[in-house]
Amino acid sequence: MTAAPALTFKALSALLAYPSEELQAATVEIASLIASEGLVAPDCRHQLQRLLNEIEEGDLFALQEAYVDLFDKTRRLSLHLFEHIHGESRDRGQAMVDLAAHYERAGLILTANELPDYLPLFLEFLSTRPLDEARALLGETAGILMLLDERLAKRGSPYAAVMSALVALADRPAEAEPEAETEGAADDLAALDAAWEESAVTFGPGDALDGCSVDRLRTRMRAARRAVAQPAA
Amino acid sequence: MSQFLDRLTFFRKTVEPFSDGHGIVTSEDRSWEDGYRKRWQHDKIVRSTHGVNCTGSCSWKIYVKGGIVTWETQQTDYPRTRPDLPNHEPRGCARGASYSWYLYSGARVKYPMVRGRLLKLWREARAKLSPVAAWASIVEDADKRHAYTSIRGHGGLVRSTWDEVNEIIASANAYTAKKHGPDRIIGFSPIPAMSMVSYAAGSRYLSLLGGTCMSFYDWYCDLPPASPQTWGEQTDVPESADWYNAGFLLVWGSNVPQTRTPDAHFYTEVRYKGTKSAVVSPDYAEATKFADIWLNPKQGTDAALALAMGHVILREYHLDRQVGYFGDYARRYTDMPFLVRLAEKGGRLVPERLLRASELAGGLGEANNPEWKTVAIDEASGEPVAPRGAIGYRWGEEAKWNLEEKDGEGRDIRLKLSLAGEGAEFAPVDFPYFGGRASEHFTATEHDEILTRNLPVRTIETATGERVKVATVYDLTMANYGLDRGFGGGNVAVNYDDDVPFTPAWAERVTGVKRDAIVTVAREFATNAEKTDGRSMVILGAGLNHWYHMDMSYRGIINLLVFCGCIGQSGGGWSHYVGQEKLRPQTGWLPLAFALDWARPPRQQNSTSFFYAHTDQWRYETLTAAEIVSPTAPDGEWNDSFIDYNVRAERMGWLPSAPQLKQNPLTIAANAKAAGLEPKDYVAKALKSGDLELSCHDPDDPANWPRNMFVWRSNLLGSSGKGHEYFLRHLLGTKHGVQREDLGAEGAVRSKEVVWHDKAPEGKLDLLVTLDFRMSTTCVYSDIVLPTATWYEKNDLNTSDMHPFIHPLSAAVDPAWEARSDWDIYKGLAKTFSEVAPEVLGVEEDVVLTPIQHDSPGEMAQAFDVADWKRGEVEPIPGKTMPTVSVVSRDYPNLYARFTALGPLMEKVGNGGKGIAWKTGHEVEGLGRLNGVHATGAAKGLPKIETDIDAAEVILSLAPETNGEVAVKAWEALSKVTGRDHTHLALPKEDEKIRYRDIQAQPRKIISSPTWSGIESEKVCYNAGYTNVHELIPWRTLTGRQQLYQDHLWMRAFGEGLVTWKPPVDLKAVRGISGMKPNGNKEIALNFITPHQKWGIHSTYSDNLLMLTLNRGGPVVWISEDDAKSAGIVDNDWVEVFNANGALTARAVVSQRVKSGMMMMYHAQEKIVNTPGSEITGNRGGIHNSVTRIVLKPTHMIGGYAQLAYGFNYYGTVGANRDEFIVVRKMAKVDWLEDPLTAEAPMEAAE
Repeated sequence: MTAAPALTFKALSALLAYPSEELQAATVEIASLIASEGLVAPDCRHQLQRLLNEIEEGDLFALQEAYVDLFDKTRRLSLHLFEHIHGESRDRGQAMVDLAAHYERAGLILTANELPDYLPLFLEFLSTRPLDEARALLGETAGILMLLDERLAKRGSPYAAVMSALVALADRPAEAEPEAETEGAADDLAALDAAWEESAVTFGPGDALDGCSVDRLRTRMRAARRAVAQPAA
Repeated sequence: MSQFLDRLTFFRKTVEPFSDGHGIVTSEDRSWEDGYRKRWQHDKIVRSTHGVNCTGSCSWKIYVKGGIVTWETQQTDYPRTRPDLPNHEPRGCARGASYSWYLYSGARVKYPMVRGRLLKLWREARAKLSPVAAWASIVEDADKRHAYTSIRGHGGLVRSTWDEVNEIIASANAYTAKKHGPDRIIGFSPIPAMSMVSYAAGSRYLSLLGGTCMSFYDWYCDLPPASPQTWGEQTDVPESADWYNAGFLLVWGSNVPQTRTPDAHFYTEVRYKGTKSAVVSPDYAEATKFADIWLNPKQGTDAALALAMGHVILREYHLDRQVGYFGDYARRYTDMPFLVRLAEKGGRLVPERLLRASELAGGLGEANNPEWKTVAIDEASGEPVAPRGAIGYRWGEEAKWNLEEKDGEGRDIRLKLSLAGEGAEFAPVDFPYFGGRASEHFTATEHDEILTRNLPVRTIETATGERVKVATVYDLTMANYGLDRGFGGGNVAVNYDDDVPFTPAWAERVTGVKRDAIVTVAREFATNAEKTDGRSMVILGAGLNHWYHMDMSYRGIINLLVFCGCIGQSGGGWSHYVGQEKLRPQTGWLPLAFALDWARPPRQQNSTSFFYAHTDQWRYETLTAAEIVSPTAPDGEWNDSFIDYNVRAERMGWLPSAPQLKQNPLTIAANAKAAGLEPKDYVAKALKSGDLELSCHDPDDPANWPRNMFVWRSNLLGSSGKGHEYFLRHLLGTKHGVQREDLGAEGAVRSKEVVWHDKAPEGKLDLLVTLDFRMSTTCVYSDIVLPTATWYEKNDLNTSDMHPFIHPLSAAVDPAWEARSDWDIYKGLAKTFSEVAPEVLGVEEDVVLTPIQHDSPGEMAQAFDVADWKRGEVEPIPGKTMPTVSVVSRDYPNLYARFTALGPLMEKVGNGGKGIAWKTGHEVEGLGRLNGVHATGAAKGLPKIETDIDAAEVILSLAPETNGEVAVKAWEALSKVTGRDHTHLALPKEDEKIRYRDIQAQPRKIISSPTWSGIESEKVCYNAGYTNVHELIPWRTLTGRQQLYQDHLWMRAFGEGLVTWKPPVDLKAVRGISGMKPNGNKEIALNFITPHQKWGIHSTYSDNLLMLTLNRGGPVVWISEDDAKSAGIVDNDWVEVFNANGALTARAVVSQRVKSGMMMMYHAQEKIVNTPGSEITGNRGGIHNSVTRIVLKPTHMIGGYAQLAYGFNYYGTVGANRDEFIVVRKMAKVDWLEDPLTAEAPMEAAE
């Protein structure tokens, strides 16, 4: 059985969008919608309320400056999902093409001046899908959401609450928490150096993916998400 | 069953093993392969290239799938070359191959951004006021202005909308034009050749406004002033394919495989033919791997090396044995036969200026410009003659400006190179020697400051009865190189081992290169040229040109080529590849770019002088003219400050000024009318009386500040801004790292012409607007950032020096997010401006001052002396002794209508370039039919220029290089001047018209045009000087020949009449700095060298993770093992590099490659990536230009004098930066400055 689409995704999408007067005016509506759908746990809702309050009461310029500093200027906090998976890799183009095609198969055409992997856009898409499917799709991004949650929390940003809510909403395989450990030490230079250090090139079998950390990360993330293939009978 | 029935007759089994059982056939499902097939599927492929700072102009296939650019690969469909010449393709490099990921990366600027504090002020003001009044209310309130200018570079940008940002910018521009004058609106954009429509978009807007367009080529120090000095040409060089025709390649200070990657294959290929190559580079650069012999002189001593090679070549190929071809070439194509007056000074003789026809009886029969016709001796008659080709023949008469061996009246002549021979008279002549002035970091030799050498002279009686001694440039050159010709006297040598300037033994001391190696390379270079009639080539680069005395290195090398007859010969010549700027369809582009179709002249400014004045670097000047003036200088006060020299050059009409006058130029025409005078007479009179004042006399007065600045296609503050910290302090008014007090505080104010303010202004600009696709360092410091289209999102044109094809940039996809093409951005701005302007502006009369232009009759301004009206030496005469004065009508409310239409002047006045002109009526008519015409409005009936493709068609239709019909007209126009028919070079292509869609289909070879000195043909590759040598078209110099002797007064004052050795200057930037702020680690001083890098093209790609991953992931400096050891630095340590100008932080790369005593920092690594805080400044570590400061050179300011006359990006002061020294030490504490933003803490780095 599939549940009806949930507007909570849309609400969270709005919260992650660039602050505007419209958003400031809609905070009450957003809060009540999230409460009424009941998909977000109470303690998480409490955290969200802090963000809602800040948006509602804050100076719009200050909110916008903070938003730009966080999400536009800081690559590690990018709201474009594939920034975190593919970075500058040439796989990114193909991944975006695939995602846009996925939207199209669901009958939705991109009209905004945005890329398909923009998180608020993705959340809006989820708000149109049956809840089970939405949770499952969101689950595929859980690793990234957890990273963003942690990075935002470290900065003391109230936006972390949105990520926490999303992580809780995501339906994901139990073992899919692979990324956090490399990032735990973001300010520890030695650990950062170690994470980016290239290993020596060897010519034996089996080492190819140990060589370059970006590829290794990508491969591991994909592996974590891939369904286990059953051998043909 | 029988075998017969068992056997299949009509089938065979599919699953049979084959190849002795090693092969089997399987029938598994292969649909899994589709995954791979789809991976390489695409909807379309579009041709584009990389459009501003790389001059490769490589053809790329851009793959698009689902509206998204997925990847790019090299295109391989260049037109084939002729037999026996390798093809051009594939062109490209790792940097270009990683470009597409900028499109969707986190570094992309996605929305119009405004500094939050400014936007808040604007919205508050705009709620109550009209647009221009709103802007006025902000900038006229000191606190409000300071609120946003003082935090530039410290974050706080917010998104806005196009409508809103356009209104802010338009209001600021309108306010500035009305309040201060439109020349206070400045625009900087470099290298138009690489995306000429994008450049033209901004410069067209500015030019219609009356704003000032800034030069880049001189500012980047990529302009080699030696080229205009010698040839009257900015730079013209062989295409890279011509390397393949060379028999000997001398690669000098150019790192071909690293910085000319797509061209390097010709260098590889030609070596298979047996061509030898010598590489000159102080470090073991990548190009050295190509070398048969590697010469590694101490950095900055290249001129000494070149002089010693010249010494060998002159000795062995011109004196002891005379190669016929070399001598004939010198006679016909150089100024060597021409006569130089020898001035008596204290009983001694010093070379003075070239003798002129006007000085001899009857002006040698020349009535037209005799004072601009130079003189030589005819061999047959032994009498002085005025050979054709001199600049005096170029203007005011027809058909005599050519290199035929004839005089003005058509008599055959043959010029005498040397006055030696029977009955010759000899005299001692003084030559300056600067080699004793080297600082402690270089080798000073103990030779006299004045070297007197004997040479043959002749005494001539002038028309006024004066008896004057003269010598030929040839004889002066031989003496200057220290060659003993048996004339007696000292300071000359027969033996290469004598320690006399400029023997190989002397050069060994100065450069560290063994004398045998010098002799070997010189001989092989010349022998090859002798055997091949000039197929020896020099590829030279920034390694030489970025030094203060670059002219000496360049002229030393040019002389080698000239001595061996290599210039203008296929496979030979001067291949200067430093920031090439070959805008091949130049004459088609100029009208579009500078709105010459609506108003002439445009305002153009040489950036080096501008930034020297307006970033107040002059206030910190440590170099004095006394340190560089010649011991043989003519009488006069030469020890002026460089800003004073520049001011004199500006007021004499030599260099441009921006802003021009303290008074608003929109108010002057009315004053002239009130005074009942023509504007030009009024300006001259008012300047003299003091009613009008030139801005250059007081650059720090708020009335003279630049107010609005546009930066597009450029990372001015992150890459090319020499004296970066001075920019931050004075132009922007934000946090900076300048470590030294200015001259006022040091009690050393030296300027006499310029007003000194005790407190220097901080924050001259009201508004800084940057257009970029990525959040560069410049964007970070800007008030408004506009998201522009990437190179795969717009339509544009692109040409290069490196190959003869014209290439498109094409919009593979629409600009992502809110981005727009540069054309659309400026068009949108023009529209808003037209709506906003009527609040304060209507149709206005704008008085424009222009310096005396090269390639115009004005370039014959002061023939003999330098007279300054301000000092009362002469009257101010516009265009002669002061700038030209013009009145231009600006229709501000109709600026948009003008922007989008091809104006009436193209039909009325025509078009032209480099001194020739032709009619364009037919092309304008054609454009009207191609682009359509405006049906209504102020541009009714005129061809439309609505889109970027329309703009491209304007360029292509008007340029001879892309329109065969125009090419024929242009050659006809030149033929009139030279009296020789050149149309055969274009007639076969008369019907060829290259249009935008043609070049999208395939890059097209351009058509030969008189704008350039090379030709396109099936027989030769493009090579500079080719038409001079083969079509006998003069070089655009004083003598019409290659000018080895520079006879202008200022040249002689600084000892550069002839090439000589000048050691790097001492900028004193490390004195008193070492030990000032100790951190416990040892500090050492090194020479700071900034070559071009492998992992970026300037700052582009230096923030691209793919490229960062290939190197150390952030800024690095390279030092030698010895220096590292002495400073206790090991590889990958964080180090700080600092001097009086500022500080930067980087990791150290310790390498055997580097020569001791120098540090290399690859040019332009972005400080927005992986840059920790500086222990010296407390701010984030700077960029390479944080430790540099520019110093002007007076010889680069000369104007109104034949080839030494101003042209935009052609001549002027250059931004040299390699004489700089720094202190380096290991950092004690690496602080990333990642604390939360407080009111004080700077916050500029992205993660």
